[in-house]
This record gives sequence, C-alpha cells and structure tokens, in this order.
Amino acid sequence: MARKTVLQVLGIALGLGFLMACSLVSPETSFAATHPQELGAGRPMCSECHSTDLAKGALKPYASFDHTADFVKNHKYQANQDANSCASCHAQSFCTDCHGGKVPMKPAVRFGDRPDRDMPHRGDYMTLHRMEGKMDPSSCYTCHGRANNDKCRACHR
Amino acid sequence: MKRRTHVALLATLMSATAWGQEVSLYGTTMAQMWKSETPGFDKATFTPATQYLGIDATKLGTDRLSLHLFGWGRTDLGDASNFDGSKDGSKNGGYLNYGYLRYRFDRANAEIKAGRFTVQQSTGFEQVDGVAARTDLRGGFTVSAFVGKPVLYKTVDPRDQHDYEFQRDVIFGTRLGWRLPQVGEFGLSYLQDGTKAAKDLTIPSPVDYTRKQLGADLLVAPTATFGLRGRTVFDIASHEAQAPGAPDRSRVAEHDYTATVKIGSQVTVSGNFAERNFFAYFAGTNLPSLFRQDDRDMFKGWGGSVTWNTPWSIQVVADYRHMHRELYGDVNRMGGELRWANAEKTIQAGAAGHYVNAAKTLLVDSATPYRSLKHAEARLWGMVTKGKFSASLDGILQRYSEANPHLNGLTNVYEMVGSLGYQATSSLRVSGDLSYGSTPVAKSETRGLLKAEYRFGFGKKGGQ
Repeated sequence: MARKTVLQVLGIALGLGFLMACSLVSPETSFAATHPQELGAGRPMCSECHSTDLAKGALKPYASFDHTADFVKNHKYQANQDANSCASCHAQSFCTDCHGGKVPMKPAVRFGDRPDRDMPHRGDYMTLHRMEGKMDPSSCYTCHGRANNDKCRACHR
Repeated sequence: MKRRTHVALLATLMSATAWGQEVSLYGTTMAQMWKSETPGFDKATFTPATQYLGIDATKLGTDRLSLHLFGWGRTDLGDASNFDGSKDGSKNGGYLNYGYLRYRFDRANAEIKAGRFTVQQSTGFEQVDGVAARTDLRGGFTVSAFVGKPVLYKTVDPRDQHDYEFQRDVIFGTRLGWRLPQVGEFGLSYLQDGTKAAKDLTIPSPVDYTRKQLGADLLVAPTATFGLRGRTVFDIASHEAQAPGAPDRSRVAEHDYTATVKIGSQVTVSGNFAERNFFAYFAGTNLPSLFRQDDRDMFKGWGGSVTWNTPWSIQVVADYRHMHRELYGDVNRMGGELRWANAEKTIQAGAAGHYVNAAKTLLVDSATPYRSLKHAEARLWGMVTKGKFSASLDGILQRYSEANPHLNGLTNVYEMVGSLGYQATSSLRVSGDLSYGSTPVAKSETRGLLKAEYRFGFGKKGGQ
C-alpha cells in the first residue's frame, strides 16, 4: 500500500513537472501580485471600476468578484477557483481570521470592535448551537468537522 | 510533526526573513478578563493573554520568492481557560497557522509553495505540511496539485490517537480546471487523505479517518449580470458492506449551487440549493461522536435573498431559507438586514432580524418538544471613526420558546459589546472592549478585553 502511494505521489509530481517544462504552459504573463491601487474602507465592488472587463487570469467578469452580501456569505466558490485573485488584495492572514485550523478564541470576540464584519457566532452562540446543530450539522462541519473542535469535545465525547 | 521539528522549521523560516528586502510584520496583543460563576462549579477568574504574529517577507534574494508566517501563542495569568483544548490543564498554548515559502513565476500565474499552508479546492479546505504547485495552461486550462503530511489536530479520543496518526499518513490532491471567456469555468478535483483505511488494518479500527473524494465545480457567468456557481463532491472510498436489506448509501457527499442575477445597478437576486448526505459528507471527521456517519440522515436546503443597494447609501437584504433534515423534519428561517454608511464610511450602522419557524419539526428528542428549535434573533450595531478615535456598539438579542427545557427558564438571551479605539500612530492602534450579557448558564456575564494592533514594514495587504 505504501509503495503504491509513493508511486502515485511520484506520478503526480512528475506529471506536474512535465507540464511546467513543456509548451503546454500558458505564455501569458502573470497578473499583478497586488492590486495597483489601495482600496478604501468597506466592501469593494470590482465592477464599479472594471465595468465589463474580464479579470486577467481568471477570465471571468469582474462582477463575479463584487463583494455583495451574498458574496461574503458564499465566498468559498471564488476561493476555490480563484485564490490567486483573492491574494491580490488579501493576505492569507485575512482568511486565517476565521479559517485558522486552530484558533484561541472565536472570531466574533477577537473582532468585537468590528461589528460591520460578518463574523460567525456572535452573541451567546453556546445556546444557539443546540438548535443550529440540529437544523443543519453540515454547516458546523465545514469548520469544526476535522479542526477547531477542541471545545466541542468537552461535551460531545 | 513533533514539537522539536516545529521549532527547528520555524527558526529556519524566521531566519530566512533576514534576506527579505521588504519585510512586513503585524500582530495583535490581547488581554482578556472574565469571571465565571456557574452553578455547580467553582468560581474562577480567567485572564488569558494572547499574541498573534504575522510576517510577510518578499524579495528573498529574487523578486519572485517570498516567505509568509502566521501564528499565535497564549498564556493564562489566572485559572486555566483551556482555549486550545489541552487535556492536562496547561495554561499555555500556541499554534502555527501557516508558514511557507512561495515562488511565483512571471508567466502563467504559476507558483510553488513549500511549508505549512492551506489548500482550498472543490473537495475541501485542508491544512498541509508539504508542497503545492499550480499553473495556467494553454487553451484556458489550469492545473494544481499538493502533497504532504496532513496537519493533525489531536482532538480524537486518546485511545484512538495512534490509529488517527497511523491512518492519516499522507494527504494529496489535484484539480484540473478549464476557463472559457464569456462562459465560465469547469473543474474536476481529487483528494486522498490517508492511505490506511480502518477496514484494511490488521486489527480493524472502529473509526475511519481517511477520505477519498472526487469533486466537480463550475461557474457559468456569460455576462456580468448572471452567475451560477456550485460544486458536487462524491465519496469514492470503498467501505465495509452494509447489512442485508439496508437502504443503499448515497455516494454524493454534497451538492451546493448558487445562482445570482443582477437587475439593473441596484438589485441582486440569488438562490441556493444544497444537499449533503452525512455518511459521505462526514467521512474523515476526527469527531465521529458528533458528526455521525448515519447511513440515512441527510440535509437538504434551499432559499434565496434579494439585495437592494438604494441610492441613499442604504443596503437592504431580505432572505429566506428552508431546511430539511431527514431525522428532524423541516424548519424555515427568514429575515432581513439593513446597512447604512456615509460616503466617507466614517459612520456605519446596521440592523438585522431573523425568525426560525420550526412548526414542522419532528420530535427532536424525548424530553424536548418541537418548540426547542423555534427562536428569533435581532441585532443592532453602529461604528464611528473621528480622527484618531473610533467607537462601536453592538447589541444582539435571541428570544427562545418558553417551552425550551434547556434554558433554565430564560427566554431572552442578550449580549452588548462596546468598544473604544485610538490610532496612536500609523502603525499602532489600541482599543478596549467591554461586553455584558445574560446566558442560561451565567445569569449575567461581564467581559473585558484590551487590544494593541501594530503593523511595521512595507506590506500593504496583510490582514486586509
């Protein structure tokens, strides 16, 4: 089994190396590592400046990255397909504010002075989690299924 | 990975920052204090001090090489608050959230990462100690892959700890995407976490921590006014045979799709559908007692929202969601939110209200009638920044059914958080938060928090 795994891993590494080395790689220059202009406070609407353009690299309308209320709640799709585009404005520590793997306090406490940010578990979530956990435990699983669940174990043994 | 290895790796990475021509260091120092008077427990005073620290060092010898580190440490000055789940009552804790070297190529948005990093692709969100690479290909294709040792969180039952580490020996995954201008993107991904499935061990383990998943994701966005995003994840691991006569388990771990339509420049309408089958979706959990891989149980939800960005700087959102769980029945969540900000965004305010109707819920447990899920929530907040000073106030109220037997007779649970901040210099901000609330456990609870945030160096986007 171990040998099979090593071979699989080696196969992926060699395959990727081959792709990098050969002419299959796109000749396009990489897009800017950082947004050329500093953005103001609040949620940016990319399409206000980039009206009908396609985002370089992502090849999608800039409107796909507008930080609407819906975008903030469902940003997993964009993070999955276009992490590089996210990185032009956000350092990874921004993601780590919530998706840390292991964090010493809930984000709503850490950012108690930022009520404008959509932070999970505001207020007495200890009481509310009994209900939300029964209504949809799969929403808990995203963050607590394999990580961030030290405190869960205190009761859920 | 052993603690000594962690320290050696961290020391090596930290020393590498000395080569950086542009080094950005940012951190937050926090001191908290609260007292606990829970009936049946000893009184305790908690005063944990927490330090977050991040470093971004770019141009390490070459413009393309950079180093990124972020982690936290904590110590309790009073009673042990056990934030990090230490089982020995330790007052200290810490964690390296990420620490990796990144080489970014000039062409094809190609990059290679090595160290501890996070990976998000359609099959999940993983923390890995290893190597990752991605590049764009000709014809709109993209490819990415990663391999390494999965970060272990050590929260499983100590009796199973050996199995947990043994089964999760390696993690790897890959994603192939295809981008079509004016159409969207389609992706196919694979993830394998661990190679030693519980059923294949010499002495079969009671819990399987391994996963094999295949994912498909898409974005269809032919115009700036319409977008359909989503993903489907399949469980492709082989499992022990089911008992004769048992209903077939679904191989679909998850469907999750959202469509968005923009009407004019002010209104956005979105709709979402999600389905998750727990046997497949909860595969690989390290908390199987909570996330039970029930053969039959599943979640199905659908709903939508309408957002209106009015010409008066007010954003209005109305939302609705219907949730169905096979074992517990149906609930409906509905509500709305208002947000306002002045042009300079120095004054912001918001209000929100939501109601959960659980009239069609089945019996949740023998002691709890269906009303145990019914509740309402209201929130009101405001923020002001004037010169170097800032202030905020945030109040949240949750109202539960009187018939709920778990709330010690309480129906209203609330919390208020007030904060004052001062931007001492362009690199340093200090603030203090005071919160007061009532919970079914602590009749009243007061918490204090002092915070110093600082940022030095050239980096512009850290923490943004």
